[in-house]
Amino acid sequence: MNKKSRYTFFIFLTLFLVLTLELFYVNFTNGVDKTSLEKKEQFVKLTTLPDLAIFSDTSYIRHRSLVNVASIYKDDGSLREYSILSYAISDSKIKKNYEK
Amino acid sequence: MRNKINIYLIEYAINSILRQKYKAIFIIIVFTLLIFLLTSIFFITNSLRYELDSTVESLPEITIQNLKAGRVVDIDVDMVDDILGIAGVNDAVARVWGYYYFKNGGVNLSLVGIDEYEKQYKKSFTNIVDKFDLNSPSMILGVGVKQVFKDSYYEEYFNFIKPDGTLKKVNIAGVFDGDTKLESNDVIIMSKDLLREIFDISEDKATDIVVKVANPQEVATVASKIELMFPNSRVITKQDLKVSYQNIFDYKSGVFLALFIIALFTFFIIIYDKASGLSSEEKREIGILKAIGWRVDDVLKEKFYEAFIISFFSYIAGVSLAVGYVYIFQAPLLKNIFIGYSDLKVSFELPFIFDIQTLALVFLLTIPIYVGATIIPSWRVATLEADEVIR
Repeated sequence: MNKKSRYTFFIFLTLFLVLTLELFYVNFTNGVDKTSLEKKEQFVKLTTLPDLAIFSDTSYIRHRSLVNVASIYKDDGSLREYSILSYAISDSKIKKNYEK
Repeated sequence: MRNKINIYLIEYAINSILRQKYKAIFIIIVFTLLIFLLTSIFFITNSLRYELDSTVESLPEITIQNLKAGRVVDIDVDMVDDILGIAGVNDAVARVWGYYYFKNGGVNLSLVGIDEYEKQYKKSFTNIVDKFDLNSPSMILGVGVKQVFKDSYYEEYFNFIKPDGTLKKVNIAGVFDGDTKLESNDVIIMSKDLLREIFDISEDKATDIVVKVANPQEVATVASKIELMFPNSRVITKQDLKVSYQNIFDYKSGVFLALFIIALFTFFIIIYDKASGLSSEEKREIGILKAIGWRVDDVLKEKFYEAFIISFFSYIAGVSLAVGYVYIFQAPLLKNIFIGYSDLKVSFELPFIFDIQTLALVFLLTIPIYVGATIIPSWRVATLEADEVIR
């Protein structure tokens, strides 16, 4: 094995080590903690509301279980195009019939 | 013997990479960035999905809503007795909850009422609530709500505006534990009676009814019985909710991936261009190698090692960067794609989930394509006669 090959080997080894150390570190610091998981479960049990508080501005996403049939119009911001298909296909039957 | 890794070919491949080091560095940078972005998105999605999946199991199996004129309206509490009569139903509870728009903060808050929360839930409260000091009428807030109230100088109490325009003063009894931030950030919990007063919901009405079914096999049957019993109601099972979550993440990561695909294809076009049109120098190199006795498979092996070293190096570097970016630095900028545009931003830590499938997917999506794009044109040249190539 020549010098360049040895260097390449050591670079790969270093990268692997960095990745392994990173994985150990994040597993230790951000890993799934049993007590915090229990707390979350207790909270969900208490409120019976499951959803994540990352869409608090859009109630039809924030609490899917209270999705109002007409809330898509009420909450229309820029997120109206919520369904993937709605980019390509209009789901309005009224519009479709009108076009015919 | 022939199947063994030929160390000399690897050495030759390394030298070949170093001979064109600027080109190799450029490819490594672009490739690493590509893998980094792709892996980061998968990591964020996986962590959020895990967060949802881990709590969704604690939910009641069925939710029943009352529909009128295509809108969800308050439901009769009496329905609970009829539902409890259905075989297989463990428990049915009429929920009182809803949204409250806090104009000053420009945020929507979720208000949840629970039965006599001072007594029944005291044990669970002590686990999930920081600073627990009940004095009626009082409420418990999520960390985000507490902050929004504080910004408007509501530190001890808050005045809710009732539907008739009058105010209802409610004391702040405590704040939810930071561990539940992702679930509780915009939530306020108070007693059902207090919430009925704030929302002006009468005693015989509720927002919806949740039903617990002990046997998961019976959920569909119970749901259809409820639908038959109350044809005007909308029955949502836990499975429906799970599907809906799946849609959220598929959509969010789908939009990103749609944009990302453009970048991916651009990269592949560059790779294809680079690989299909081998430079005259590279062609001459292959020709000389053949002239001095290298077989076609030796040339291909050498090209394989060359491509694999570059792509595998980029893969490891990209994944390492993604792990650090997502889990150590908590994915600044990219995380915002998955968080709404509300002022009530939730700052949460993404839980680390080691998903080997994601890593395998990224590996298969990138490395074989690059290796293929390098080997195929080399094979085309290597199969030609040596003198023809050199000329």
